[in-house]
Amino acid sequence: MQEVAVIGCGVTKFGHHWEKDHEDLLVEATYEAINDANVELKDVEAVWCGTFYPSTGISGNVFSDTIKFFGKPITRVENYCATGMDNIRNAAFAVASGAYDLVIAAGVEKLMDAGSRGLPPIEGIFSVAMPVVSAPGMFAMAANRAFKEWGWTREDLALVAVKNHYNGARHPKAHFRKEVTVEKVLKAPMVAYPLGVFDCSAVSDGAAAVVLTRPEIAREIVGDDYAVIKGVGMAVETMHPWHRPSESFLSFPATVKAAKMAYKMAGIEDPRKELDFGIVHDCFTITELINYQDMQLCKPGEGAEMIRNGVTAIDGDFPINPDGGLKSFGHPIGASGVRMVAELTKQVLGKAEGLQVKDAEAGFAHNLGGPYSVATVAIVSRP
Amino acid sequence: MASIGDCSIYLPVWKLSRDEISKETGMPSLGGERAVAHWDEDSLTMAVEAARNFEGDFDAVIFASTSPPFRIKQCASFVASALDLGSNVFTMDITDSMRAATDALITANEFVDAGKFSRVLVVAADCIPTKPGTLYEQLYGDAAAAVVVEKEGGAKILGYNTSTRPLPGSWMLAKDDTVRDYDMRVDARFGYATSVQQAAMPLFAKLGLSPADIDRIVASAPDPRSYEGLLKAVGARPEEFYFSSIGIAGTAHPLILLVSQLEKTGRILLGGYGEGADVIAIEIEEAMESNIGRMLESRKEISYGDYLYNRGFVGIRDAPDRPSLTKFWRDEKSIIRFYGMKCRNCGTVSYPISRCCIECGAKDNYEEIKLGEKGRIYTFTIDYLVMPGNYTGDGVHPHCVAVVDMDGGGRVLFEITDTLRNFDGIECDADVERTFRLLFEKNNFRYYGWKARLPR
Repeated sequence: MQEVAVIGCGVTKFGHHWEKDHEDLLVEATYEAINDANVELKDVEAVWCGTFYPSTGISGNVFSDTIKFFGKPITRVENYCATGMDNIRNAAFAVASGAYDLVIAAGVEKLMDAGSRGLPPIEGIFSVAMPVVSAPGMFAMAANRAFKEWGWTREDLALVAVKNHYNGARHPKAHFRKEVTVEKVLKAPMVAYPLGVFDCSAVSDGAAAVVLTRPEIAREIVGDDYAVIKGVGMAVETMHPWHRPSESFLSFPATVKAAKMAYKMAGIEDPRKELDFGIVHDCFTITELINYQDMQLCKPGEGAEMIRNGVTAIDGDFPINPDGGLKSFGHPIGASGVRMVAELTKQVLGKAEGLQVKDAEAGFAHNLGGPYSVATVAIVSRP
Repeated sequence: MASIGDCSIYLPVWKLSRDEISKETGMPSLGGERAVAHWDEDSLTMAVEAARNFEGDFDAVIFASTSPPFRIKQCASFVASALDLGSNVFTMDITDSMRAATDALITANEFVDAGKFSRVLVVAADCIPTKPGTLYEQLYGDAAAAVVVEKEGGAKILGYNTSTRPLPGSWMLAKDDTVRDYDMRVDARFGYATSVQQAAMPLFAKLGLSPADIDRIVASAPDPRSYEGLLKAVGARPEEFYFSSIGIAGTAHPLILLVSQLEKTGRILLGGYGEGADVIAIEIEEAMESNIGRMLESRKEISYGDYLYNRGFVGIRDAPDRPSLTKFWRDEKSIIRFYGMKCRNCGTVSYPISRCCIECGAKDNYEEIKLGEKGRIYTFTIDYLVMPGNYTGDGVHPHCVAVVDMDGGGRVLFEITDTLRNFDGIECDADVERTFRLLFEKNNFRYYGWKARLPR
């Protein structure tokens, strides 16, 4: 694909922002991004803004009336937990097509205003008589099957939480900045068996924004201080995996397909060799292990080996979630995918202070949403 | 006269010890235990559970209950739908009296005898709401029983007769939440034995029988001692009354007693008591197998606190969603009749029925097929963020859900029921069977459908 340059990033601190509105968060992220990009708001030609829950807002007005940015095209994107990165995909392709030269892709979610433990329920998306399963419940079903098929254990899952919280403890914008131990993870209250509190990403508030343009324009504005998006894959699978007989619950087909697409766009054949690190959607610890496999970093069933052997630690052979992941940041849905691309950009530009992956030249980011039904994968590298 | 060709009962899995009730409420214990419906069971769901053991078709369904979940809305039509009967089936509810079940049996007998219908399902169920700490709480039990009335069958109905005697007894006003009474001793002393005998004597005369020609007498009663007293008065040996194992199951009780008697041959007298009595003489020529023994064996003990939870006296059931009633109605074939689809292109059996195949996407190229009764858990979770029935999680009563591969194909996400906080046996590859339940009560409506449980 035509490469797209990321010239500016803005990310708020993620967390329980009881005292702030989505307005505060989106203003902070957007202005941080345009200041980082060294551009003015008036030069931005179009905006994509991701938000999932109507409690945060719907339509392009979420962005327009927050920033008072009127009279230009703004699209609200919603695609489950992949909202943030699908938002970037749409913005990137608009720039790549030449339709616009300078755009913003932003995402914001104000979950704490929804008044719910766990993610707020959404009315009427599943069939009427179907039992409701919470987000942790959906992924817990993958864990129980993986335990059965591959002998994985709760201890394996706990290692993911320990690794990601170790990284997140060092990230100034993370929601949770404390390390945890395997023992603490295992003793935490159960959320959806076998996933305990520390196996789950938190419900948090946050916003993120990136400024996108084409590389030739980027060079004029920021010199070589930019990263490039080399591919964005995206796939939608069934939202009823529990009704599809071929579903294994041991792999998320949306991820597999989105990854293949993104790798192909970026000309990558062996991601483990050609990329240096990745940011995966660790909404739950089990998800991260299955993501290793679906992103082709290892063979099916070997995900737990990778965490046991420290391969994905920040100083390991292939660091995963050096930022601390959703485990440390929480998951304000519309914001997460945008934040991930901002994190990739910082890493490949060598600006990830305290969390810098050694020799990070190229990496991927991955979002997975719904009942594993929507996945996006972006490949970001130095120019 | 018609015959009874088949029989079945249903007991909820939970049994509450009366000593436990006594310990918690201070009421003297009546001993033994009573059957307690799970939170998602009512007289309608238990009726379906009792009736679905029968093979074959029916052309009429009579539902009898004093505790139908709806004041306006027929339950028999739900039963017919859950049993996947045709749209021409005749359905009726007989309600409001403890005599309703025997009235239903008499009605079915007349239908068949007159040649109006050939095979009538009579199903009685009760789940009578009682106030904690009252005698009724110990007296009653929740259960259902069903019999098939047809021209030819193993048990011939010889005749029947009725007496009518309005007495104070027990009652519920239209606005009442629980059953009440004035003085039960009036019923015991002046109502029960007199009513049964007043109905029985003319029947003996009509049939040319004397009490000595009767092998066994069973009759529902307001309390177990009244039944024993009646049998003593006529010089007969009391039969098993199931008070210590079930309790008095309202209008289902006479049918439970009948089912237990159908297991051996002989000439019996069946009484149904309430505002008088129905008495029916039945000649059992061929003993039938019933599931009563298996149902009694398959039991789990419930604490008084959990019983209060099941009854809705404890805990909060709250959820913001309002599932569409029109969708529920439109998807009846999948939700109530439990049909899935078999793709004519790729052969996949899937659930629910939808326009395009979930595996190959073939459009409008499938046949509707009824899915199996049993299946195996592919995977599951025990979800503390949701409470059974899709209510907001209370952190104490988790929602156990499982992906189940049905025998004969089709994969379905089920709520696992008959569990409270103990999930022993729920694991990948475990066998489960489906059971008809209340899914949830929302929009001020009760939504029914199928769940799964460990095999009973």
